[in-house]
Amino acid sequence: MKKLFYLLLYTVLLGCSPNKNSKEVNLYSQRHYAVDKLQYENFQKLTGIKVNVIKANADELIERLKNEGEDSPADLFVTVDAGKLYRASKMGLLQKISNKIIDTNVSPDLKDKNGYWIPITYRARILVYSNQRVEKNDLSTYEELVDEKWKGRILARSSSNAYNQALMSSIVANLGSDLASSWSKGIVRNFARDPKGSDRDQVKAIAAGQGDIAIVNSYYIGLLLSSEKEEELNAGKSVTVFFPNQAENERGSHINVSGIGLAKYSPNKENAIKLMEYLTSEEAQNTYVNNSYEYPANPNVTPSEIVQSWGTFKRDTLDLNMLGKYRDEAIRIFDKTGWK
Amino acid sequence: MEIKKILLTENKRWILGSAFVAILLILPILFLLTGLYALEKTSLSYLWETLLLDYTFNTFYLIIITAFFSLLFGIFPAWYISNYKFKGRFLFDLALYLPLAIPSYIMAFTYSDILSFTGPIQSFLRANFYQASLFFNRDYLQIEILGVILALALYPYIYTASRVSFTLLGSNYINVAKNLGLSSINTFYKIIIPLSRPAIFSGLFLVLMEVLNEYGAVKYFGINTYTTGIFRAWFSMNDVGAAIQLSVIMLIVVFTFFYIEKYISSKTRYYYKINTQIQKLSKLTFKNKIVVYLVCSIPFLFGFLIPFLFIVNNVLTTYHLVNIKDLTDLTFNSVIVSTISSALIIIFALFFLFIEKISKTRLNYYISQSISLGYAIPGAVIGLGLIIMFTSIKNIFSSFSLLGTFTLLIYAYIIRFLAVGKAPIKSSIEKQPDSYDDTAKNLGLSPFMLLKKIHLPINKFALITAFIVTFIDLMKELPITLILRPFNFDTLATQTYEFAIEEMIPLSSIYSLSIILIGSILLLILKNILNKQIDVS
Repeated sequence: MKKLFYLLLYTVLLGCSPNKNSKEVNLYSQRHYAVDKLQYENFQKLTGIKVNVIKANADELIERLKNEGEDSPADLFVTVDAGKLYRASKMGLLQKISNKIIDTNVSPDLKDKNGYWIPITYRARILVYSNQRVEKNDLSTYEELVDEKWKGRILARSSSNAYNQALMSSIVANLGSDLASSWSKGIVRNFARDPKGSDRDQVKAIAAGQGDIAIVNSYYIGLLLSSEKEEELNAGKSVTVFFPNQAENERGSHINVSGIGLAKYSPNKENAIKLMEYLTSEEAQNTYVNNSYEYPANPNVTPSEIVQSWGTFKRDTLDLNMLGKYRDEAIRIFDKTGWK
Repeated sequence: MEIKKILLTENKRWILGSAFVAILLILPILFLLTGLYALEKTSLSYLWETLLLDYTFNTFYLIIITAFFSLLFGIFPAWYISNYKFKGRFLFDLALYLPLAIPSYIMAFTYSDILSFTGPIQSFLRANFYQASLFFNRDYLQIEILGVILALALYPYIYTASRVSFTLLGSNYINVAKNLGLSSINTFYKIIIPLSRPAIFSGLFLVLMEVLNEYGAVKYFGINTYTTGIFRAWFSMNDVGAAIQLSVIMLIVVFTFFYIEKYISSKTRYYYKINTQIQKLSKLTFKNKIVVYLVCSIPFLFGFLIPFLFIVNNVLTTYHLVNIKDLTDLTFNSVIVSTISSALIIIFALFFLFIEKISKTRLNYYISQSISLGYAIPGAVIGLGLIIMFTSIKNIFSSFSLLGTFTLLIYAYIIRFLAVGKAPIKSSIEKQPDSYDDTAKNLGLSPFMLLKKIHLPINKFALITAFIVTFIDLMKELPITLILRPFNFDTLATQTYEFAIEEMIPLSSIYSLSIILIGSILLLILKNILNKQIDVS
């Protein structure tokens, strides 16, 4: 009993003791991939700065940051959705960064116009279509998916998914609420089944013949095409990637960034900026593309082979903050038009 | 009256102490409810207009399906194993507990993989029986299927409860019933089920709580329940008001359910004598044997063996990618945190139950009820409640902050899982006659000595049971860990989740397998203990 008591006391004290090591940087991160761990290890080898991480969902981390206020140990807030970075910046949780190295490292159109966050990678929310039942020429834009001819053929995951929410936000930003609403209605009308499952499941559903076109994230298609399971590979090969809205007068395919914001009360600001510089550098950007299926934010780096095989595409150059600004509106539209 | 009574009793220090601790435990929930005053009317009307009906329908439909199947998978095998003799009976009795070791979200992910177009069944059929494969090529992400999957993961709660109850009832009643000419079926439905209803219901209650709080699996299946609604409102729409309203609706559902059972029990009160004879197990005819084997093997096969083998197979295909150091670190983290938290939980549970028993005040009855409240609230909501509470405290005492510490994490675990640890101890303590306490008091034992000398030893088995049950739940816990964990702290559950949501199920397998193996070992120990308890009586 006594021993147990001391053990407990020990944990309590251990838990309370603040870690005052200046050779470190603290991350609140939505990213939790193997590649991130690798990056942080490389960074530590290079600089001697230890990277501490708490991984959770972006919104929960925002809530945590907000409540911790000035006492927050967080230096950097890492997400896979520009919308969340926008939200954090609007809530006053981030501080502006101006750094020449980072500025030259990343593509200008991926940057935050207000200077609160930086991009590290990006993904496109694109279409895949059945090789058997759809002709490439039948497809053109996101908007065209509401056409009568796609009735009962479109697949997508649920509207609780942040990537769908970001796509809808981009449509609200580009076309306005009314058109976005009728677009959503049209998509719901054309659904092959109720939205469910993961992006990978949408591709499987095409392979299974349950639908013909799916709205998916480029990142997951890359994952599927590198699967160790033969059946999954076959499913992946039964579809082709299509980048919508590519014509001359079109806006380009919807993209979203994985990015980093500097916390307003960052205790290790210098180290934090060093890490941001490193993560946008060619070395780290190469590590990203070699270990995941994301597009690099640094234009000097080329994506992985699988990703390259889909060809290049025109990105929607919408200010990515709009993905956060119109998020509430997007969700209301989903709810009202019955996109579950 | 009540206050006077408390102040007059010799146990007043204990009672006041328990009230204080109880307040600490329900404070975060109260902090959340204070959010109610800040509500905007628009949230509620928005919910009404768009989603509430859908959420309500899905929640109840899922509850009904899961309840039905978990009763089916739980009660019948328990009945046969308690009363009949057949080969493999002992093994079945062990095996039927095991699904509890598999987190329900892993069960759901695993089954959707098994059933999917690229899964083993459909692939095999496509290669060998093309026509049949067309029939099986369906969309399996359906609410009904999720209900069955959840039932497979959760039925052991009902199995355990009914197994103990059926054995304790024993042969007396059955013999009398048979002598009076009741058929076995009638005996089962008219005598055994009503007598075991409180036990079965306590198991069912746990099942329903789990279903209500399920997040990962329902989201994956695209089913909107109250819990997914809370997350959507709070996080995606930043509408705390709507989230709290939904939480309150959920609490109302739980209370309603709880009080309906109370009301029914109070109207029809059963007193039964615990079996004292050595129970003779009946033999089975050949035809019945087939039924028994089917009934006993189906829940085990689908609830454990198939998903387990699938996960093992995934591990075998990905073992070269596993980082052994990570695996041991995460296992260590999971085990340590779960051990400390479960130990604290049973200490708290025993403390409250003991005081309820010796004090017999209404206050302590309410305290004992209210500390179970946490189990009805989604983990993430408790986590946020604590964050909000500690922020407010910090604003008053500026240097005091527990955010990001293990203390806070464990605090949250206690709030959430106290009910789980309480249940087995409660049923054990209730069985002890008051005369023990009275005699001890007459012999001059202080309450603390009474607890130490009498209640600790006689409830030993219940305490170990409570520890194991809580430990397994904590190993599987996800939302609280995610939201409150300190820097660089990962557990088996968080790692499993991180791979799973990134659609890398095979890579998550080694971590889920570790959860399952540790859980299974503990369940086997638990089973051993339960057997001893049954033998004792």
